[in-house]
Amino acid sequence: MADVAILPLSIWLSPSFPVGAFAYSHGLEWAVESGAVSNAATLRAWIEDLVTHGSARNDSLLVAEAWRAARERARLAEVHELALALAPSRERRLESAAQGAAFVTAIRAAWPCDTLHAFDGDVAYPVALGAAAAGHDLPLTPTLEYFLLAFVANLVSAGVRLGVIGQTDGQRITAALLPSVRASAQVAHSSTLDDLGSASLASDLASMQHETQYSRLFRS
Amino acid sequence: MSAAASRSERRGRAFWNDILNAPFNPGHLPASARARGAIRARFARAGDRSCVSELYEAGGLRLRFPRNAQSCEAVIVNTGGGVIGGDAAQLSFAAEAGADVTLTTQAAEKIYRAQNIPAHIALDLTAAENARLEWLPQETILFDGAKLNRTFTLDAHENARVTLLEATIFGRLAMGEHSISGHLADRWRLRRDGKLVFADDLRLTGDIGEQLDRKSCGAGARATALLLHIAPDAEALLEPVRESLTSAPCPAGASAWSGLLAIRLLSPAPEKMRAALSPLLEILRGRPAPRVWQ
Repeated sequence: MADVAILPLSIWLSPSFPVGAFAYSHGLEWAVESGAVSNAATLRAWIEDLVTHGSARNDSLLVAEAWRAARERARLAEVHELALALAPSRERRLESAAQGAAFVTAIRAAWPCDTLHAFDGDVAYPVALGAAAAGHDLPLTPTLEYFLLAFVANLVSAGVRLGVIGQTDGQRITAALLPSVRASAQVAHSSTLDDLGSASLASDLASMQHETQYSRLFRS
Repeated sequence: MSAAASRSERRGRAFWNDILNAPFNPGHLPASARARGAIRARFARAGDRSCVSELYEAGGLRLRFPRNAQSCEAVIVNTGGGVIGGDAAQLSFAAEAGADVTLTTQAAEKIYRAQNIPAHIALDLTAAENARLEWLPQETILFDGAKLNRTFTLDAHENARVTLLEATIFGRLAMGEHSISGHLADRWRLRRDGKLVFADDLRLTGDIGEQLDRKSCGAGARATALLLHIAPDAEALLEPVRESLTSAPCPAGASAWSGLLAIRLLSPAPEKMRAALSPLLEILRGRPAPRVWQ
């Protein structure tokens, strides 16, 4: 029965929810171009490190803070501003803000709730998600797990489209990363903004280098 | 602009007030681990020159002004010769309206092995209308076992021109210290016109060498630098910066958005990073790099 309560998450974080997630590779396209990611093993390590030590870890902390702050105006405004400022490059800011704006539009239209009033213009995607989940009284742990799993699945899908792996290896990677997703969700659940911290310097750099990549499928 | 300061920034201030106002308590810290240093300086425009208008120094930190410098150049000297666990340094520099000041350091800062508690370094910068403020210290070198927390804050007027560099080397590479353990946490919170325009949280903890070898983290680097330029013309400088980066001797990238230009470098060799930084500084400054960076 408890699972019924979290069904909206399976819709909001599915690849068909209209936020355009498929258009963003989070710098992976450059990592493939440069040879840093070239097969299933290197793709898995790349994604796992982002979830455990990197930007996805930070984003999950932002989801958690927005979820907690959803009904505290000043606190929500702080994480809203911080999440946009944490973008390490123009394309990563676009990736977060464009998906955040599309998410807010879709939720307002079809899943209205009272926690999205504060957002006008750009909003970071993790903050929009956390606030909407709180607005629908969705529990935090599954919100974080779905968010991180969608991040993993999106980059796996990008890896497939970039020709690094096939569909079967993609499913293997997603399945293998479930424990990391659960562990990072637990970390985010028990963390605050003071615990923000990422080691994914090369991934951040890749998102800068992607901006001048000659031939590209992705917007980041 | 303190009203715009976030809760975490206020917490940070409270943290520093606690440290700086606390009585020395040798019972809690090893005798060697309680150096507290501070520099607070203001710089003002006087005619066509800039000069220091207020200066407070405490602990082992001093500010020196080389006589031959063309512009107002202030050099930080750590008379303690390095930083150990438990040390706390608070640096605060303000450029008043129209002031033009460059801050750098006399030497690379050495962060020694910490027994248990980390060292803390806080840098707070303020740049008023039409001020030009440059923070261009030499590299920080983390020794094996070093533990360091740093915070960087900026409160800049929208017309100010601010250039910030932080370059870090992981291990005494020349001595074969190639894969260090330790802790480094860097927190950046930069405001322009009261609005938070850039935030970054770097965290490397535990087996730093192993983390730096991961492809999404350090990709084998042993040195990294973040160079930021916040100015009305910041985005216009992206193209010349990228042109310079095409011949950079180490992996580097640049991006510009929201009145900000960010450049990141990752290098297996610190000297290659230095070689890449010098022309970048020249582009951002529109004048040669400070002598220590040439």
